[in-house]
Amino acid sequence: MTESDSSGFNLFDAEERILAEGRTLAEHLGDASLECRAGVEALVKAYGKSIREQRRLVKLSDRQQAQLASLNQELAGRTAQAEEALARLTEAQETLVQAEKLASLGALVGGVAHEINTPVGIALSCASHLADATGRLSALYRADDVGIDDFETYLATAADTAALILANCERAAELIRSFKQVAVDRTSSERRTFDLAATIAETLVSLGPRLRQAGHRMTVACPPGTIMDSYPGALSQVLTNLVMNSIIHAYDDGMSGQLTIVVERPRADTVRIVYHDDGKGIAEEYRGRVFDPFFTTRRGTGGSGLGLHIVYNLVTGPLRGSVAVTGRAGQGAEFVLTLPIAVDGA
Amino acid sequence: MDKLHIPATERSPEVDFDFAAGILRLSGESYPEDASRVFGPIFGALDPFLAGAAGRDIRFDIEMIYFNSSSAKALMNLFQMLDRAAASGVRLVVNWRFAPDDETLREFGEDFSEDLEHLAFNLVAADAAAE
Repeated sequence: MTESDSSGFNLFDAEERILAEGRTLAEHLGDASLECRAGVEALVKAYGKSIREQRRLVKLSDRQQAQLASLNQELAGRTAQAEEALARLTEAQETLVQAEKLASLGALVGGVAHEINTPVGIALSCASHLADATGRLSALYRADDVGIDDFETYLATAADTAALILANCERAAELIRSFKQVAVDRTSSERRTFDLAATIAETLVSLGPRLRQAGHRMTVACPPGTIMDSYPGALSQVLTNLVMNSIIHAYDDGMSGQLTIVVERPRADTVRIVYHDDGKGIAEEYRGRVFDPFFTTRRGTGGSGLGLHIVYNLVTGPLRGSVAVTGRAGQGAEFVLTLPIAVDGA
Repeated sequence: MDKLHIPATERSPEVDFDFAAGILRLSGESYPEDASRVFGPIFGALDPFLAGAAGRDIRFDIEMIYFNSSSAKALMNLFQMLDRAAASGVRLVVNWRFAPDDETLREFGEDFSEDLEHLAFNLVAADAAAE
């Protein structure tokens, strides 16, 4: 039995030629003893069997190696697919983070607009009141009927309304100034020296309506004259996200809470900002995941799962600091930001 | 026949035999479904060439990256054929080339050379890029 194909190539050509020679040899052993002939025939038979076994082993082994090779190819293909999917996912994630930052800037604009509305509204009604009073006095004057009382009343009204208009316009201007600083910092992500207490105050102004609406109180304890050389926009974004996180997650409807920001100087070159709310706190099992992108306990009810992820990214990124979740269950949530007073590099 | 050139495929090696110059080269991967289709033409060309090459200097460079069991058996047959040719007067040198960090291919080379009596069989650790 041979197994050569049309090309005449036979993997076991040499072995089979030896087998054929062995068979011929066995046939020519006519004169030898029966025992000797039987022995040689058994040897030839065993050798033939051994060749067949080798063929089977090679075939089996080839098949397994072919399977392995195609599995490897498939694996390489899948790895490439997975890598591509990961790259697309990372890109989508960055886009979403960017969108979330813009959305929070939008909320900030809304907050400030709401805040400015009050002084502008007061100034407007005062101006209107003053115009009415002036009109009335003008009519009396034209009729040559201005009494001392009329004139004194008008002077009092004019002084009161002018003072109110001035105060409220100043308040509005101050709000616009602080908002302009926050908005510029937020969008330009520029590094500059800034007063930490002022930046915290400016940021909280825009959050005021949201806090008051829910009945929360905010207290800040920051040593005056804490001057940082860092990225105020990033810091403002971080504080905004922490406050929004508390508003969304810490309190059930109708609960009003106490939020605090305490700034400490553990070292000359470091500030520690301890942010605390007295809400429900963060469950132990979520602690390790709150900074993960898209982690949210409020999927479908407005939570994007990006707020604290952005906090983490900004604190560990541009601000070169660290952020930790502390506090015990049932005692509210606490975030501790440790930041260098001055970030290295330009 | 002066030359035999068979380009590599995904599962078979490149054959580059320059019979006129006496330099033969086999390189790449070999795990074909049908070893006879790959090695049939190689043996078919080598047999008559070696029969007429007594007294000539022939260099055979083999640089395999990966091969399956039937290819290994075919390589063993090839070395037996070359050893017989060397016994009958062909001055044959085989260079078994492998990447310096490839212990498996070094060991294959050592195993293959064990039963060869007439061939000069060199184990050459070399970077393909350093050629």
